[in-house]
Amino acid sequence: MENVETAPEMPKKGMTAEKKHKIKQLLINLTPVIGLVLLLVLYLIVGGIRGINFASGFEAIINQSIVVAIVATGAIFIFTLGSFDISLGASTLVSACAGALVYMSTQNLFLMFLVCVLTAVACSLFSSVLGSVFNLPVFVTTVAMMSVLMAVAELLITSRGGNQLVASGAGAADSLWLKILLLAIFAAICIFVFSFMKTGRRQKFLGGNPVCAKLTGISLKKYAIIAFALTGLGVGIAAFLTVLRAPTVTSGTAGDVGMSIFIAIVFGGMPISGGPRSRIYAAIIGSFTITFLNQVLFFMLLGVAGADGISQIVRAIFFLAMVYLASINYRTKNLPR
Amino acid sequence: MKKKTLAKIASVAMATTLAAGTVVGLAGCGNSKTKIGVLVADASGAEALGFQNYYTKYIEKNYDVDFIYSAELDTAEEEKAAIENFITTGCKAVISFASADRPAQIQQCQDAGIYYAVATGTLSETEYNGGEVAIDPTNPAAGTKKLPAAKDFKYYVGAIGPSLDVEYKAGYDMGKWAVEQFTASTSTAKHKFALHGAGVGYRLDMHVQRTAGILTALIMEGGASFTTKGEDGSDLSVNKFFGEDAVHGILLGYLYTNGTVNIADFSSDTMELVGYHQLWDFADTTWQQNLSNVVAANPEYVLCAGSGLDVYGQATNNTNVKIADVDSFTEAYGSAMQSGKVAYLAGKYSSSVGPIFAAVLNALNGAPIRTEKNEALALGQGYWVATSYADFTKYQNADTADAPIFNKSLLDTVICNVDAETNEVTNKVSYSTFKAFVEKDRTPN
Repeated sequence: MENVETAPEMPKKGMTAEKKHKIKQLLINLTPVIGLVLLLVLYLIVGGIRGINFASGFEAIINQSIVVAIVATGAIFIFTLGSFDISLGASTLVSACAGALVYMSTQNLFLMFLVCVLTAVACSLFSSVLGSVFNLPVFVTTVAMMSVLMAVAELLITSRGGNQLVASGAGAADSLWLKILLLAIFAAICIFVFSFMKTGRRQKFLGGNPVCAKLTGISLKKYAIIAFALTGLGVGIAAFLTVLRAPTVTSGTAGDVGMSIFIAIVFGGMPISGGPRSRIYAAIIGSFTITFLNQVLFFMLLGVAGADGISQIVRAIFFLAMVYLASINYRTKNLPR
Repeated sequence: MKKKTLAKIASVAMATTLAAGTVVGLAGCGNSKTKIGVLVADASGAEALGFQNYYTKYIEKNYDVDFIYSAELDTAEEEKAAIENFITTGCKAVISFASADRPAQIQQCQDAGIYYAVATGTLSETEYNGGEVAIDPTNPAAGTKKLPAAKDFKYYVGAIGPSLDVEYKAGYDMGKWAVEQFTASTSTAKHKFALHGAGVGYRLDMHVQRTAGILTALIMEGGASFTTKGEDGSDLSVNKFFGEDAVHGILLGYLYTNGTVNIADFSSDTMELVGYHQLWDFADTTWQQNLSNVVAANPEYVLCAGSGLDVYGQATNNTNVKIADVDSFTEAYGSAMQSGKVAYLAGKYSSSVGPIFAAVLNALNGAPIRTEKNEALALGQGYWVATSYADFTKYQNADTADAPIFNKSLLDTVICNVDAETNEVTNKVSYSTFKAFVEKDRTPN
């Protein structure tokens, strides 16, 4: 009798729980966006109190976000596979060096762009092919590639004597609209491939369950190569924009790109294990989140002793908190859909 | 712990961090002081800290200004981002101690309409006067490009620091001193020495000039010779019979073209160049290895064009290697001179950056100091040279944080006054007055 009495209530209770779960999932999914919006609001408040120049502030935010946004958007494909490329900063540097050298010889921006992209794609493909040939996890090959690329960059930089390459004149083409346009085009390509082509779906499948994916005939090597090629395209565009922004290229150029893309992807809500919950827009949200956070901290801590160290600690706390919040979403008993 | 609890902790941690930051950061809001951004390539070196203390502990207390320091800047892109942040913050001027890409810095400030000044350095002649520069220093066929003349920029205040001639002389004097030490020695063996070119790799003019000065002195005073390429591409052995000007010119060409020094190019019957090093890439293992090699070669002296103590301070512990350097009269150098680690110092003093602040403040007050031809400042300051701890102490005591040489009463003689009611400048400072003020020899007796 008791069972009979309680039985009709179960679906109601179940629906409520499901509704709650859905709301919770939605909130967690929206955490990166909410975080970005909150930081934007905080930026406006702090900036207002500090009396900052918002026009130049937003311009600075775009300038300081775009290179990481582009590289990270491409890198989403690698992260989706559950893999990791530690050599992206070095690859950006090598491509920037190659582009700068071509510009120094030809004064031709289009050729510089082409060389940046081709160099970056070649570097990326070399990493993935190396992994395939030796049957190693690709991230292992990228560790080796990082050292190789840094050495190549050093060779390129010193090839003109001294320790820098100066692509004099390239800076004249640096424009905010060009950066936005290139980001928009690249992001559109990536979103299309990731969300509307079987490539994206299969990569998510591979990242979520490589054994099942392999048993259904999906080739990890093939999709790894596609992922690295797309990442290379992003790295090439970013290298081109790096030279336009700062035509003096040294071994320190793009030095923080490698770590920044990893942080951006996490801040954007991308699960670090990749798989079906990967989000192509995570990179853009994350890279702007980092810049807003940096700016907010910069303005808050103006004149405070040890501001740089405090900022780093705050960023670390945010990073850990974001990883934890993102992880709640996929630590469920159900398989991801 | 339950997930829900952890999620709450994570959220609270983020919120608390931001709230705490807001409270701490905004506590000092509301002041209406004029903000001046300071670009620094070195945030922890002895010289850099001396300048920073003077600005933040003396100038800020005595004038209505706030200095906003950048983080340590390594690359041109970091310099650009730092200036963007200064502009956003509302800085009205930038004083630069960073030089990865000075023309780009000047252009960025000019475009933004904020004043820009170079501290403790100078622009090259082409950067200041404008003109053609090689697109690719190693490939004349690549042609040249025209640099705009910074001297004509409205927002370029100028540079006050050792001129390139002074930099050359600082290097020459150090080289001459080294020759004198070798000559006075009783040892008949070849005297080993090493060279640290500092920013030669980046073709920083001041370091190139100092390095050229050191080598020129070793040739002119020590009878050494140096092999380089002649105009026809054949080997050219340069010696003192070429004359100082020619040797200096040839060595400048060598350094700008190669961006380094090949130790095999130096030869002498009495001296041996056993190592060459440059830059300050402490995180780079190859750079560290070369540093070890230079020290392991056991030179009597490392003649440094800059950053000598920062680079060789630790590396020469428990060795007999002595450092000769161009840097600053700071406590770190005092200790090193006292212990005998540093044997020669051509140094700036911390408050030597006072006059450039005065020039910037005048510009901000609406009375920028320009030459008779309405050009930006390019004024020189000399170095003080200490070869003993006694010399060092004398110089150091002459310029302290509490009683700097360029103190308020001295600076006020060249800072214009603005009438609070009419907002008009009441005592505009002339170029000749300011030039005499800056270039006056203030070496303590």
